[in-house]
Amino acid sequence: MTAAANCALDMRGISKTFPGVKALSNVNFAVRFGTVHAVVGENGAGKSTLMKVLNGSYAPTSGTIKVGGAEVRMRRPADAQALGIRMVHQEINLVPDLTVAENVYLGRMPGKWSWLRKGEMVSKAAAVLDELGAEINPRERLGNLSISQQQLVEIAKAYAAQPRIIVLDEPTSSLSEHETAALFRILRKMRDDGIAIIYISHRLKEVLEIADEVTVLRDGSMIETRPIEGITAAQMIRLMVGREVSNVFPKSPAEIGKSVLRVERISDGARFRDVSFDVRAGEILGLTGLVGAGRTEVARAIFGLSRLAEGTVSVNGRKVSIKSPSQAVKAGIAYVPEDRKGDGIVPGMSIRENISLPILRRLSRLGRIRRSADRALAADYVKQFSISPPDGERRINLLSGGNQQKAVIAKWLAARPSALILDEPTRGVDVGAKAEIHNIIGQLVASGMAVVMISSELPEILGVCDRVVVMRDGHACEPLQRAELSEERIMALATGEEMA
Amino acid sequence: MTDAAMEISGVTRNDRFTRGSKLVDALSKAGLAFAILAVMAYGSLVSPAFFTSGNLLNVLTSMSIVGIVVVGMTFVLVVGGLADLSVPATIACGAILSLGLQPMIGPLPAFVLAVGLAGLIGLINGVLVGYVGINPIIATLGIGTIGLGIVQAAVGGVIVYGSNPASAEFAKGRLFGIPVVVLIFLAIALIGHFVLSRSFWGRWTLATGGNYSAAEASAVPVQAVKAGAFVITALASGISGGLLGLTLQSARPLIGAGYEFSAITAVVVGGVSIIGGFGSVPRAIAGLIFVQLLTNVMVLDGVRTPIQGFVLGILIVGAVGMDAALRKRGVA
Repeated sequence: MTAAANCALDMRGISKTFPGVKALSNVNFAVRFGTVHAVVGENGAGKSTLMKVLNGSYAPTSGTIKVGGAEVRMRRPADAQALGIRMVHQEINLVPDLTVAENVYLGRMPGKWSWLRKGEMVSKAAAVLDELGAEINPRERLGNLSISQQQLVEIAKAYAAQPRIIVLDEPTSSLSEHETAALFRILRKMRDDGIAIIYISHRLKEVLEIADEVTVLRDGSMIETRPIEGITAAQMIRLMVGREVSNVFPKSPAEIGKSVLRVERISDGARFRDVSFDVRAGEILGLTGLVGAGRTEVARAIFGLSRLAEGTVSVNGRKVSIKSPSQAVKAGIAYVPEDRKGDGIVPGMSIRENISLPILRRLSRLGRIRRSADRALAADYVKQFSISPPDGERRINLLSGGNQQKAVIAKWLAARPSALILDEPTRGVDVGAKAEIHNIIGQLVASGMAVVMISSELPEILGVCDRVVVMRDGHACEPLQRAELSEERIMALATGEEMA
Repeated sequence: MTDAAMEISGVTRNDRFTRGSKLVDALSKAGLAFAILAVMAYGSLVSPAFFTSGNLLNVLTSMSIVGIVVVGMTFVLVVGGLADLSVPATIACGAILSLGLQPMIGPLPAFVLAVGLAGLIGLINGVLVGYVGINPIIATLGIGTIGLGIVQAAVGGVIVYGSNPASAEFAKGRLFGIPVVVLIFLAIALIGHFVLSRSFWGRWTLATGGNYSAAEASAVPVQAVKAGAFVITALASGISGGLLGLTLQSARPLIGAGYEFSAITAVVVGGVSIIGGFGSVPRAIAGLIFVQLLTNVMVLDGVRTPIQGFVLGILIVGAVGMDAALRKRGVA
């Protein structure tokens, strides 16, 4: 067999630029038929962007893609599907009210232009599930299955389309160890059928177990592709994070005072358990971990956006019971959410209207908003944070991401909190705005505020934070002091891999 | 350096966007004013009766009764509450009780109690929609049906007549040559406009409709704000029903039928977004004026009823389609 004939996928020189961000830069990525090829990298390393290029969701800014040796150009996911490329996403993309068989053949049901041949569909689905060794009744309503069974149906759906290339994005995130073993049997079977499998995972142990080759991405670049033999988890971690930590994050020395926000053994009964930490005045506490480790859930629960099942939260030494964001604001806690579009801004409103939203009552007299106070507040922050364009009447959704984020932070400072929780405050903003946001955070702690910063970006965590709590699978580790911080140490705690 | 360049290109792009949206905004506002003028011009051409003070006063009076409901309904649409279908019930409640209770407690207390009970229906709607999270269409339809049933049972399904001529005189009377009903409508419209555009409650209403999660995360009491819109609408319909009862001096249980759709039509034609987050009382009233004048002209012109319905239907679909199109372009 020649090398070219064996090449399922050959992506060369792939770059993808978004306004202000270079998400992929000159990436070469090749996968052979009949192999499992793992892709690893930190959050934001470019894995999902690369996969979106592969499945036709994004057009690359430059570069060529060959599938099975022939150069292709994909404009939409349907083009990729026609070429035999199938994605299995981390979240389940199925219809709960349809049966398993209907889901497997969704969009490709037998009997086009005629009555649906239901019996044929059920027996075909049964054959596929059987072939994969999944004990699932094709007539069962999908919603009645467990999440892991649904995940298998998702894989069966991709497999039934007889693909040449399957991409699995974190397929084991909802599977138990036993179910993972079953999944791996299925993957090996598909590999032996000659399918090229691209396996994206944070779990390096699994990568070592299932993959034949591994490609490491970092900061949008391809770092290395290696056969799995002879590589260790520790080496992979080093390749994933191995950049010099430059001092791009100015850490302003702030006087660290007494404890402001303290959470003790809080649980929500599902996504995090027994989380404890405290933040002191003038301190930045980093909260990091892999996506899905429960960081955002902890923040939302402290802020009253979801309920705590157990544990206590105290502010300035006083125990507080927070059941809604307005109670959190009264207690002195503010939260800048992760999903800026979804939870941060009201798009149809101006910068001014967004900034004054949490303290409208304070700005009002007899129910009427005092216009001058409203305007002055916005004008102050627009100037202080150099929000661009410097016009409080501008509709907030017309601003760049970085300026939107500055306005969202301003919104919370107006409420004068004693503790501020920032969830991924610099995600998706360009380098300049990022430095400005770090500057603002530095000013805040200098003025005595206690800051919790959630971030997936390790250099940011290392550069900005005084102490760091790493979360994994809903549990938090003991805070690491600044002196004991290193990217390797954090990644090891986040992935649960011991360093060799 | 690249940052500076990006910043600049960002600004120019924003400018173009903002200009575009201002143009569309102005067009959509002026468009409605133009449409109202066109209908008036057409009306005076086809019917000599149109531009008489009697006819216009008639239109104004009947418009005022719906108009009070429109003010409330604007809040429901802006907050993202889709629509309040319990309006026929709250109008009936206002009309029947403010007439039926007259012999017992006198006209003014009867009116106040009637409006209060209508508000109670609104409170139940609000709790179901805002706090329990039931779809507004289902909740208000259900509660409206129940409320209407109770009111019907209470009066034995018959027509209730007024027994206090003085109150009838007042409701049908004029102040400075303007019908009292019209003055009450204008006062309520002014209050509604003030609350929606100037008060913190109105800002909360717009924010809740604009982005529910962001408003919630900004410490806005979103559940109460959503519930409040339904209470406001019910109070408005209660007043509207009370005035209708006093004017007619009789009220049957189905007195409010159709008012919910007239109100929704006016609000939507006025350009208030059906998905929430955008709209004002003056816009909704402009929509109301347009629809009422158009209906009046069609009646005077002898357009048959089915055709009238056809025209109004096209208007609603057109207005909602426009809203969707503008949203897609990120303008509205």
